[in-house]
Amino acid sequence: MKFKLTIAWLYPDLMSTYGDRGNLICLEKRCSWRKIEVEIKNITLETGISELLTADLLFMGGAQDRQQKVAADDFIHHKGPVIKRMINSDIPALFVCAAYQAAGYYYKPYHGKDIPGAGIFDLYTEHPGDQKQRLIGNCASEIVNLSELKGTTLVGFENHGGRTYLGGKMKPLAKVLTGGGNNGEDGFEGGVYRHAIGSYYHGPLLPKNPQLADWLIARALEVKYRKKIKLQPLVSFEEKVAHKKMLKSIT
Amino acid sequence: MIRQTAALIIGQAVGQFSRLLNLGAGGTWPGELALSIDPHILKNLAGHIRKGIVIVAGTNGKTTTTLMIKTILEANGNSVINNSSGANLINGITASLIRQADIWGRLNCDYAVLETDENSLPAIVEEITPNAVVCLNLFRDQLDRYGEVDVITEKWALAIKNMNKKTALILNSDDPQIAFLGKKYAGKTVYFGLNVKKLQKYSFEHATDSIFCPNCGRRLKFAAIYYSHLGWWQCLKCGLKRPDPEFFNWESPLPGLYNKYNTQAAAAVAKTLGVEDGLIAKSLKKVSPAFGRQEELVHQGKPLKLMLSKNPAGFNESLRTVIGLKAKNILLVLNDRIPDGRDVSWIWDVDFEMIPAKVQITVAGDRALDLGLRMKYAGLKYAVETVLSNAINKAAGQAEEKLYVLPTYSAMLDIRKIISGKKIL
Repeated sequence: MKFKLTIAWLYPDLMSTYGDRGNLICLEKRCSWRKIEVEIKNITLETGISELLTADLLFMGGAQDRQQKVAADDFIHHKGPVIKRMINSDIPALFVCAAYQAAGYYYKPYHGKDIPGAGIFDLYTEHPGDQKQRLIGNCASEIVNLSELKGTTLVGFENHGGRTYLGGKMKPLAKVLTGGGNNGEDGFEGGVYRHAIGSYYHGPLLPKNPQLADWLIARALEVKYRKKIKLQPLVSFEEKVAHKKMLKSIT
Repeated sequence: MIRQTAALIIGQAVGQFSRLLNLGAGGTWPGELALSIDPHILKNLAGHIRKGIVIVAGTNGKTTTTLMIKTILEANGNSVINNSSGANLINGITASLIRQADIWGRLNCDYAVLETDENSLPAIVEEITPNAVVCLNLFRDQLDRYGEVDVITEKWALAIKNMNKKTALILNSDDPQIAFLGKKYAGKTVYFGLNVKKLQKYSFEHATDSIFCPNCGRRLKFAAIYYSHLGWWQCLKCGLKRPDPEFFNWESPLPGLYNKYNTQAAAAVAKTLGVEDGLIAKSLKKVSPAFGRQEELVHQGKPLKLMLSKNPAGFNESLRTVIGLKAKNILLVLNDRIPDGRDVSWIWDVDFEMIPAKVQITVAGDRALDLGLRMKYAGLKYAVETVLSNAINKAAGQAEEKLYVLPTYSAMLDIRKIISGKKIL
């Protein structure tokens, strides 16, 4: 059977500051190497809801504050509620860094009013004040809450001032090995809700963690074609070597 | 005065000492020490420069533009001092001036042309009053170290608002956020940009940072694009638009679109300082590449061109230039040390996909494996060499004609060290 996936890249011209494109390139290549047809749709301010609804997989990345503000109104009031329904019907999604925060209930800055989020994820984020250090650096963790990937490791780079706290509906994605993770306190990184994942590992999370890319692709196919999918394995030698080298150098 | 003299003597002694021991040419710590003894030493030293100071800021092009300005001013009969790109923070700039001053703080020169780091520009224009400040461009660069483009723009806008009105502000009309800085300034503002039609594109590359109106936030309309977010822009909502540049058709002495911008900026400064058109054109022709920027070297009998490439906008332009020069062999070197930025995520914003399949690619550096992975996902064939000296030897050995080397900052210094056998900066 010939499979096809439509991937929605949310706000590529606004929420894509930290090499986020790496995730799309990774998903696209790992599909095409398996002869799964892929279409990437750029979904931005001017794009209609009907386009968004054609997606089998969603991705949204990190941004500068000003660009995040430009996207916020459209995300919270127009596309957010639709994305929430899609995620509640098990469409897989990846929200990285600023998008992870924006998918929660709110962001409380050190000064000024709370910035509302789309309320897709049961979480909130607070900035602890100028005195507290930003959480910056290479980081690693071990997946605890995706049954298929439990015990596998993630490597990445984090750079965030906000501290994120998960509510009961959101499970942590991974246990921190090195780095700050969600809040620098509870030892967890990222979050999982149904088939949607949030992570502070910004920019290109997937290329060095290809198991996560494959997990998203497999879930997207299962939901779309309503059957159990076992992806054709790929060798992924270069991915594993780069992953291991980083893991070894920081843990 | 006593404090300043003490600062100078100690600063100079430390500089001499570190040069003697070959710890790098004087470095930045003589400046650091002198500033801790006399916090206003920069201001005092600057006051002794006979005709004045030019400050050059921006993500890409600082070193080349500084060199162009220096070349023109010297041709006009001035003695000019400058700093190196490794010394473009306030301590490095101070060190560069101390090195050339006598113990009374007198500097025997007409002009100082100084490049400054993005984060240091506000502190520098607060301390001294330059004749001209050039803002070249702002692109995403070492986000873990500098912060985002918008954050830097805000700091610059505030600094420029409070700047002494005697300073001429030289701005890139094609970079929306840079051009908008002119609206905050009551002093003299001069714009430069590009008007060449045949180099225009009509779609963006992925890495753009300023495509929304800096005034009202609406998406800007671009009638033409040169690279990244540089182009002919306007806002259809609030009416803000690209100012008409006064400097746009000066001929660039070096390849690359980015050098065309650097040339316009240098000409704008020279004209503002009273140099005649004919002399500007003539002396621009004499400009040779700056340290590591399209610099030509020879290694094991093979010609080699070194092109510093440290962020997506710069890297894309280096690649375009190299491909335009019909490169057959490319060595890409990615480090993640402090001067490079620890975060290498940005390589996924570089359009490596434009490299033709027949080009032979070698990847090296601290993060060679990440770069290799990026090549794999760009569908390119490549060789990985984790030891830099082996990488250069092999790549140069294989090169049919010239080897083009695109390194990050610390990698560029390492390569020069390997080739020359000693530390240079």
